[in-house]
Amino acid sequence: MKNRQEKNRKKNLILRYSLATLLIISGIVLSYLKLGNEFLGFSSVGLWLIYVGFVMLAVISLQILSKKKRIVDERMEFIAAKASRITFMGIIIFAFIIMVIDGIKPIDFAYSYFMSYFICGIVLLYAISYKILLRSN
Amino acid sequence: MKTKIAFYRKKLNITQEELAELVGVTRQTILVLEQGKYNPSLLLAHKITRALKQRKIEDVFKI
Repeated sequence: MKNRQEKNRKKNLILRYSLATLLIISGIVLSYLKLGNEFLGFSSVGLWLIYVGFVMLAVISLQILSKKKRIVDERMEFIAAKASRITFMGIIIFAFIIMVIDGIKPIDFAYSYFMSYFICGIVLLYAISYKILLRSN
Repeated sequence: MKTKIAFYRKKLNITQEELAELVGVTRQTILVLEQGKYNPSLLLAHKITRALKQRKIEDVFKI
């Protein structure tokens, strides 16, 4: 059982490192070919990809270096699934509200800002619902 | 679900933290299990029963 968990952990790490490397490489390629400059309000997609890739690499490396062993048990997985469902419902309700508001008064808002706020909202909703469920369940 | 986890744990003189470590869960999970607020999976129920040195799952967990 522990051996299998260790194997899964290693597989997961390799996947995450590969994804971070892929992001950096694609960022370098996009920057080199000067593709994606001025894309949907972002100054440069390539530079952003490189930035996200490096942050990802730093986070993974820090997680490896930290000696603290994180336990994820079945209850936490159950709560995470519940929090995901709540977040999904939140997205649907939010989309409906946006549609209604847009019908009453057209929304004139930069797409990049909208996506930034939207992603922040999703993360926040998930984190809050997870914390609440963890305490109440 | 009613459980006798606290009873057997105290009988063995082990803390919630120690039991949690034995079965590979967090202390909070042991706490909610003792309070009967969470229904464990068959695997976790089996692990807890073994950790508490009992033979049958029914001895520790009661519906």
